[in-house]
Amino acid sequence: MNRARVDPSVPNTKALQNVSALHAITWAMRRDFALAARSLAELALVIVFFLLVTSLFPLAISPDKKLLSTIAPGIVWVAALLANLLALPRLFALDHSDGSLEQLVLSNAPLPALIMGKVIAHWVLTGLPVILLAPLAGLQFGLPGSAIQTLVLSLLLGTPILSWLGAIAAALTLGTRAGASLLALLVLPLTVPVLIFGAGAVESQAAGLGFSAHFSLLGAGLIFSTLLGPWFSALAVKIALE
Amino acid sequence: MTPTRSQACLALKGVACGAGHRTLFEGLNLELASGQWAALRGHNGSGKSTLLRCVAGLSKTLFGQIQTQGSLLYQSHLTGWKDSFTPYENLVWSAQLDGGASTQSVDQALHAVGIAEQAELSFARLSAGQKRRVSLARLILSPCPIWLLDEPSTALDQQGQILFANILEKHLASGGLALIATHQDIPKLAAHFTIDLGEA
Repeated sequence: MNRARVDPSVPNTKALQNVSALHAITWAMRRDFALAARSLAELALVIVFFLLVTSLFPLAISPDKKLLSTIAPGIVWVAALLANLLALPRLFALDHSDGSLEQLVLSNAPLPALIMGKVIAHWVLTGLPVILLAPLAGLQFGLPGSAIQTLVLSLLLGTPILSWLGAIAAALTLGTRAGASLLALLVLPLTVPVLIFGAGAVESQAAGLGFSAHFSLLGAGLIFSTLLGPWFSALAVKIALE
Repeated sequence: MTPTRSQACLALKGVACGAGHRTLFEGLNLELASGQWAALRGHNGSGKSTLLRCVAGLSKTLFGQIQTQGSLLYQSHLTGWKDSFTPYENLVWSAQLDGGASTQSVDQALHAVGIAEQAELSFARLSAGQKRRVSLARLILSPCPIWLLDEPSTALDQQGQILFANILEKHLASGGLALIATHQDIPKLAAHFTIDLGEA
């Protein structure tokens, strides 16, 4: 194993010090990246899943180009949502089962900051690949360049909201017997507004109405969920551990 | 102001804990000062782990007060170590979060618990006893004065038991204190207090 991977500049102090929020965020992020690097197959799973789902629709519906380009934004958005959902149960469940979640809660670092780091890592590993692949899916459906641009921007604003909603639900369903399926039932209804405004932005632009209203609402949702998500998830994690 | 290790203390006053709708025990009193350790005994399901979780702050007590001065280290049945990391990486990640140990001291701690040769294997490939020894290394590295340990010597061999006793002895000598749920006596070290939670 490569030791250089681990940051050698660990402060050597005798007393336990309070950990800053920023240190906690980067620590949790780097740790989850390091863990994901050990199981690349799971990362690939999300990407392959997204590509498969987006490719199935033209096969199932019809190869009609006009129809496909109309429904494309919705399909890409639903596929992004499902890909996000696929990786959600692992966000806290693994840490819960091996006991490291307890140690995170008991550590001197602020729990909301640790969760923020974990969720950012989750988004980079599941949301970002989907955003990078979205133009490919758009081309496949014959979307014009401007529509693809809007689609990517709407995903960029919207997928972090999906990650936050998912994080809260994943924390709430920790330790329940029907964890993963309950999680899906809990998250999917909550994501409806994100889906409507995300996919709606592309349609609205195609209709010549512009997308600024949709983007404003998505942006507001992003700010709102990033501000409240860490606290709600932290609360849910503590309840789950009790 | 962080209290020094010699000021560390742990006090339970009339503590009652429950699981579900059942009260496991009540009216529990204990005062542990720096340099002392208490053994927590009782049948399976009598509430040893529940009490430790309450003291750690993970669960709520039904009644009573728990006062602690000094930072806590809680070690449950679950190791908290990642299977895909090596013992070395696990300890370094954990030390980075606490800000309590350097990489050299991680090396030394792994050496001290006899895992130096397995330090670069993935954690999943270690035996149950070796996994426990990695947790012992965490104890060596910990700056926390209060230790809450749940069956720390399970799966440890004879030498491991002695190793654990030595680590605990050093901890107590340097002003630490410990509350330990255990079925076995710890070699050389008699408990200052014994709490028997009795039958389940």
